[in-house]
Amino acid sequence: MTVLVRLLLLAVAAPLAAQSVRGRLEGRVPAASIPVIDSLVRTAAQENLPTEPLVQKAIEGGAKHVSGDRIVKAVELNLEQLRDARALLLRAGDAAPITPSEVASVVSARKRGLDAPVVERIVAALPSEPRGSALHAVADLVAHHFDSDTATDLILEAVRQGMRGGRLLDVSNAAIQEVQRGRTRAEAVDLIRREIPNVPPPPPPTKAAVLRARRPVGGTAPSP
Amino acid sequence: MNPMDPKFHQALDGEIGMDALSPELRREAERLDAVVAMLAAAPAAQGVAARVMAAVARPAPSRPRRMWRWLVTPHSLVLRMRPAWSLALAAGILLLAVLPSPQIGPALGAEEGIAQFVARFPGARSVAVVGSFNDWRPGSIPLEDRDHDGVWRAAVVLPAGTHEYMLVVDGERWVADPLAGRYVEDDFGRENSVLIVQPVMH
Repeated sequence: MTVLVRLLLLAVAAPLAAQSVRGRLEGRVPAASIPVIDSLVRTAAQENLPTEPLVQKAIEGGAKHVSGDRIVKAVELNLEQLRDARALLLRAGDAAPITPSEVASVVSARKRGLDAPVVERIVAALPSEPRGSALHAVADLVAHHFDSDTATDLILEAVRQGMRGGRLLDVSNAAIQEVQRGRTRAEAVDLIRREIPNVPPPPPPTKAAVLRARRPVGGTAPSP
Repeated sequence: MNPMDPKFHQALDGEIGMDALSPELRREAERLDAVVAMLAAAPAAQGVAARVMAAVARPAPSRPRRMWRWLVTPHSLVLRMRPAWSLALAAGILLLAVLPSPQIGPALGAEEGIAQFVARFPGARSVAVVGSFNDWRPGSIPLEDRDHDGVWRAAVVLPAGTHEYMLVVDGERWVADPLAGRYVEDDFGRENSVLIVQPVMH
């Protein structure tokens, strides 16, 4: 009975999702490319991959007035990146089904320049936990010319000492700030490693910023 | 004081003629006569009514002068209050001081944070943030340059997580945020800025 209900729901949900994707793309991307993009999004859904990054990429291309062909190529490239990311997560020990946010995190880390072995190491060190912040923390350090293995060691040391989420970004920020103050990268890493887990957090948003803050007109887009 | 010559006195009283005086005393007597004549010719002293009318006819002081005079002159102020109203007023002031101030600004969800955008574009007519958080829809997050110094700002409530975005200057020029610090290729030949929003209430 349960299986029958699930199949029924799937049969109803898939066309509805497809319809909503077409609806979001209409008027935002060249009309001729919509069927191709739609078919790529359907393929991603059939492979249990997140579809929102593909829709976002298409809308982004349309907003930037890119030609339909280039939008389709970009969506195809993103579909490949999603597949690679899921394969990497499975290789690193994650069990299916893999959440869309984890796949998106790995895609983002790879696009920011982290090599696959570094990502696999971080994924394996944080089983059954969100890795987005750890991956971004290492990517931040690598973007500032820290050695990728040293950067990974530093962030995984913070993980071992109980730091999670945004606090891992505080670690990478602190190391980058030490370099900006004139220390060598090795000195900065040594210093921050000794400070873990008491790396200072960033100041909270000021009252003035909270008062000024407003929501985007028309609301926010769905997360991947 | 020299004693007065008796003949001079008699001459002033009219008892003897001026011819009986020596030339010196005669000159003195004539001078005194002239003074008496001058005093007799002077107008009569003003009465009270005349003095009052003169004061009324004087031009009124200017408005600032009257204001200043009112400000520097002490005044008596009488405040009459019923004790019940006084107690109610005191209780109201106490409540305002003790009770927490109401939530000001947007109410943030558990999975929301505040992103602050600052960019320097001197001479730009408009600057907006466009990204994955607003479906890449230009115009939904305009930045403001209130003091016209070329520095554009916005504070925006966004879902916690990783977002890609760009700045759109004058509605047509797409540029990466120079202060983002994180960038990824956008697969269209440019770079998107990357924003990581931390939840405020974590």
